[in-house]
Amino acid sequence: MRKLKDLAQLKAFQKKAQAKFNSYWKRVRICLTGCRAYGAEDVRDSFLKELKKKKVQNEIEVVETGCHGFCARAPVLVIDPGEIFYQRVTVEDVPSIVEKTLLKDELIDNLLYHNPETGEKIIRASDIPFYRKQTRIVLRNLGQIDPKNISHYLARDGYSAFVKVLTELSPEQVIEEIKQSGLRGRGGAGFPTGLKWELTRKAKGSKKYIICNADEGDPGAFMDRAVLEGDPHSIVEGLLIAGYAIGADEGYIYVRAEYPIAVQHVKIAVKQAEEHGLLGQNILGTGFNFKINIKEGAGAFVCGEETALIASIEGKRGMPRPRPPFPAQSGLWAKPTSINNVETLANIAWIILNGAKKFSSIGTEKSKGTKIFSLAGKVNNTGLVEVPFGITLREIIFDIGGGVLREKKFKAAQMGGPSGGCIPARYLDLPLDYESLVEIGSMVGSGGLIVMDEATCMVEIARFFMDFVQDESCGKCTPCRIGTKRMLEILTRATQGRAEEKDLSLLLELASGVKDTSLCGLGKTAPNPVLSTMQYFEDEYKAHVIDKRCPAFACEALYISPCSDTCPARTEVHGYVALIAEGMFKEALELIKETNPFPAICGRVCHHPCEARCRRGDIDQPVALRALKRFVADRELEWRTSPPSAVKRTKKEKVAIIGSGPAGLAAAHQLVRMGYGVTVFESLPVAGGMLVAGIPNYRLPTEIVQLEIEDIEALGVEIKTNTTIGKDISFDDLFKQGYKAILVAVGATTFKKMNIPGEDLDGVYFGLDFLRRVNFGERVDLGKSVIVIGGGNVAVDSARTARRLGCQVNLLYRRGREEMLAAREEIEYALQEKVGMDFLVVVTEIIGQNGKVVGAKCLRTKLGPMDITGRRQPIPIEGSEFTLKADSVIVAVGQGSDLSFLPSKVGISKRGTIVVDPETFATNYPGVFAAGDVVTGPATVIEAIAAGNKVAIAIDKYLGGTGKIVKERVVKPILVKSEKLVSEKERHVIPTISVEKRIANFKEVELPYSEEMAIEEAKRCLKCHLKE
Amino acid sequence: MKQISLIIDGKEVRVAKGTTILEAAKSVGIEIPHFCYYPELKPTAACRMCLVEVEGAKDLIASCAFQVAEGMVVRTQTERVIKARKLVIELLLSNHPLDCLTCESNGACKLQKYAYQLRISSSSYQGERHSYVIDESNPFFIRDYNKCILCGRCVMADKYVQFIGAIDYTHRGFNTKISSPFDRPLQETPCIFCGECVAVCPVGALMEKNRLYKGRIWELKKVNTICPYCGVGCSITLWVKDNEVIRVTSEGGVNKGSLCVKGRFGYDFINHSDRLTTPLVRKKGKLVEASWEEAIKTVADNLHKVKKKFGASAIAGLSSAKCTNEENYLFQKMMRAVIGTNNVDHCARL
Repeated sequence: MRKLKDLAQLKAFQKKAQAKFNSYWKRVRICLTGCRAYGAEDVRDSFLKELKKKKVQNEIEVVETGCHGFCARAPVLVIDPGEIFYQRVTVEDVPSIVEKTLLKDELIDNLLYHNPETGEKIIRASDIPFYRKQTRIVLRNLGQIDPKNISHYLARDGYSAFVKVLTELSPEQVIEEIKQSGLRGRGGAGFPTGLKWELTRKAKGSKKYIICNADEGDPGAFMDRAVLEGDPHSIVEGLLIAGYAIGADEGYIYVRAEYPIAVQHVKIAVKQAEEHGLLGQNILGTGFNFKINIKEGAGAFVCGEETALIASIEGKRGMPRPRPPFPAQSGLWAKPTSINNVETLANIAWIILNGAKKFSSIGTEKSKGTKIFSLAGKVNNTGLVEVPFGITLREIIFDIGGGVLREKKFKAAQMGGPSGGCIPARYLDLPLDYESLVEIGSMVGSGGLIVMDEATCMVEIARFFMDFVQDESCGKCTPCRIGTKRMLEILTRATQGRAEEKDLSLLLELASGVKDTSLCGLGKTAPNPVLSTMQYFEDEYKAHVIDKRCPAFACEALYISPCSDTCPARTEVHGYVALIAEGMFKEALELIKETNPFPAICGRVCHHPCEARCRRGDIDQPVALRALKRFVADRELEWRTSPPSAVKRTKKEKVAIIGSGPAGLAAAHQLVRMGYGVTVFESLPVAGGMLVAGIPNYRLPTEIVQLEIEDIEALGVEIKTNTTIGKDISFDDLFKQGYKAILVAVGATTFKKMNIPGEDLDGVYFGLDFLRRVNFGERVDLGKSVIVIGGGNVAVDSARTARRLGCQVNLLYRRGREEMLAAREEIEYALQEKVGMDFLVVVTEIIGQNGKVVGAKCLRTKLGPMDITGRRQPIPIEGSEFTLKADSVIVAVGQGSDLSFLPSKVGISKRGTIVVDPETFATNYPGVFAAGDVVTGPATVIEAIAAGNKVAIAIDKYLGGTGKIVKERVVKPILVKSEKLVSEKERHVIPTISVEKRIANFKEVELPYSEEMAIEEAKRCLKCHLKE
Repeated sequence: MKQISLIIDGKEVRVAKGTTILEAAKSVGIEIPHFCYYPELKPTAACRMCLVEVEGAKDLIASCAFQVAEGMVVRTQTERVIKARKLVIELLLSNHPLDCLTCESNGACKLQKYAYQLRISSSSYQGERHSYVIDESNPFFIRDYNKCILCGRCVMADKYVQFIGAIDYTHRGFNTKISSPFDRPLQETPCIFCGECVAVCPVGALMEKNRLYKGRIWELKKVNTICPYCGVGCSITLWVKDNEVIRVTSEGGVNKGSLCVKGRFGYDFINHSDRLTTPLVRKKGKLVEASWEEAIKTVADNLHKVKKKFGASAIAGLSSAKCTNEENYLFQKMMRAVIGTNNVDHCARL
């Protein structure tokens, strides 16, 4: 290559490069940086081979580009013209790509990106949602050009900014332009770049340096690497402009040696720039001299700190020194030095070419332009995204990132690496910039963004980062050297269940102390992961330290198995699954019954939080735990010869239980087994509470409830139905009748109104009341079309019940489907049964004619930010009114409890629930206890059972007992160790009767597993309790 | 030099431009605790003990490294500052042997001093402690890195006072340690055993071997004198117990506190049994104790004899580096003027 001697030569050369770059027939742009890990090199090779075979190697160009950003779909390639985006390309795909797409212009469907939400296939890269919301300034050339080819860079206006600077702008003007743009340092601290340059320019001294800090080292951050690998000339140009502006004739690129491709590409770029006369003496005849040295760092994280980086270049151990003097005054070799991050420098040429005004129009008031985030962790679309400041986390994670992996619940995002913090869900809608992130205890930092779901333990995350800091602390200053070690030790103890309560205050003290006293940024920010997790996930720390429990089931010492620990009643789930796998059904059932007297009921209606946390779900689908429970319960009911025999009464005390729902009966079950006399009072004609009155028969047949209640009666529990306390017997009379303790477990059986006009019209029903009437055989005439309002289980039950009564049903919910509280499978079943569902609709009035419902007035809503409960609030959209016709309306928007029978001494909360001591379940009336929905508000069956178990223990203790639940364990669950026994089959779909057979009646929808199915399904268990 | 006014703990202070906060405070009698700061060394701000609050600054400021500015308002006794100091002491104590009962540094140890001042008897932060093998391989001093607080003074003294580079920081995080290359014995490094590192160690990590178990610091008498070894005339302080020198240090003087291996460690001759305490004169082939008069007379008589018989050029004089410049000058003068020979030389070094 002939050296370019002046500007005219450069322009001519650039023109030629442009002409060549823009004239092609077909071009394949394939990522050969990050995608290498997924075999991109082989894909390239087979392209070259295939093109040769077809004799089109001269017509079709294969361009090895840098990172396209969409790493989740690696290897990726784009075919021009048409910008056809192919993903997860393998060597085997290449011949057909050449044959069909390149030679015949046919698309290959399975290589195209399919929008997972809509299923729609997308051809052009820029139409993919991942790219659509991005603003690519820094990443402008990534994936577009061959980073090893200076002509490609020149063709895309490369070095034009440098020429503009040399010919049109004084150094002061360049600095002014950068100042006007509002560009701030992208390395993390966010210092205004223009100001830094100005300080360096004004510093005394003839020799000055500009350094590119390419020592990217945050776990989870890889954007600097991508820029160096994919567009190294933009850094060379950035350094040239910076050197011109501050008066430096020498620059350094400090790049870590662990980035071999980056090092290689930067070396090539510098060499090419030298050969073309863009670096060296008298550049392009302008008299400007500039030289770039490349310094490979040995991988010390602390060398990202500017003073340590300078020490490292000088050949010393990379350790920070106190500032002032700042590098702008005395930096490398004690000369004024400006140190800028890769991403910062990559912005420079764009700003010079497009103007400060255009740049500052992007972003927020104080944070201008874009920021690259590297999306990693439990997110669907991992990769690099460049977005304008002011974007929300929700947009990044859900719109661009495609949401949390496997539709798990978003828990937190770790931003800024070891210097940053964990951001909880409540800040998903916060516009992100330098200031807003610091305010909530995190930082933009390098832009690492790690998404975490509920299986991520926040204590473990804090421990991980502290471990990292301990590995990387230079050891110079006391707080960082020893303080972070002591923090790490406390965190390690916490994750191993060895921490004490006082450790938490020590940890907090240390964290704030280390932050306040450390020498450099590393130590000052090292406590952030601890401080932010302690602030937002205090409960999790307490669970680890006080309860010795890891709610995320990540800390091995602190859980038995995810399923058992998730079960509110702590049923030994992995145990009964192992027994079922061995064919020991009776033993499995006995194990379940230790903690749950209603296996047949829960086998049908439990909301099975155990399955949501089942690790098998991370591979394919969770083990069908609920169906397994139903299988063993049903089998027992079918095969057994007699109900259980009565328990011997060993204690003289009698306990009265008001309410025969799951909470009351679970307590009765435990108390009678402890030897107490137990009487249950029920105002309805049948026992079972919500189990019979609230849950429709097609989910839970009344006979099943009755069978399991009969078993409890067989143990010796007396149930008095049709007995209302406060009417038939006064509350205080119970004590007079000799009951030593009274448990109030009346549930939440009253309905809440919406307080909108028209609720008193004929044809308006309230969810629970409606279900009870239908369940008890009352004829309810809904007319032809029904509107159901609500998003919980009662609403879906009401809708499906109304469907079975022969109505057209339209369920209206003011939030989105994602926000519905009803069980997912119930929603699925409802949709199968053609229940119409309309989301983001709020009913403002029920319209009537002649006192009878004829329809409802509605408004559309949109979802606003999350409130403190972590749910996004619906905001009505003005002017979106519309009317729906209906013959009746079922309102199912909430429940309450009728507590009028209680003596006034019993404390009631503002929410209308009974106030109890969380440990003892005691109300402030001595001898009176309460548990279940009446304490918690509407919850689930298994939670009520769990509460019943716990209150039984509390009552036993109150009456002088030990509080130990009688265990009748016959057999220890078999610990199956051989991995071979884990079945690789997918989950057995729970059999159901056909939709046609469902609609007209109340027959049970689900069918039980067969024996073989149950055993096979049980063998899918991964046996997490073995932890090996 | 330009004078700067500032306020430290309510006191108005005027110092020269370029003075650090710590030195400015010292000039008005305000002691700011510190480990890594040492007047002769470049500040490193490593220990974080000297942190103070400066009005308008968000962060705590390391007073050893931060230079004063006009109108600056400094506070050295605020709750935040005390908390920071306590944290540093507690963290250091959490990895310190606490064997003050037998530690030679007892009574002179800075860690002990500040722990006492801040009333800290043990650390709230318990955890791993280092248990390094004590290095006793060189003849002059032991290196017990279990006691090291990593203030880095030894490294700075080695690098920027003696310009040797025998030791530096190694490893990372909690395992950071001052070490020779590859942790080899100092004899295998460029170390010249000047003992500069020992002199600046604020705790008992580096300790002269000769003084071990020979007396507590408060039992020793300090005697200021000049080093007898060479013509430089370094100021030294002898630490004496029961008429025995057990330690040599230096403060100031022409040598600005620095010493060489002999001056600092080479004093075992003082009480050595072979040491001559009177002149000896050989009589009948045997060395016999004599008075100075007798000895000098014997020398003078024999010089006369030789000069008479063989001439002045038969005599040569060799003087010692242990003599001062003045003594050496006088010696050559005597050789030339009195004896009349130019045969005079010097051993040049010890």
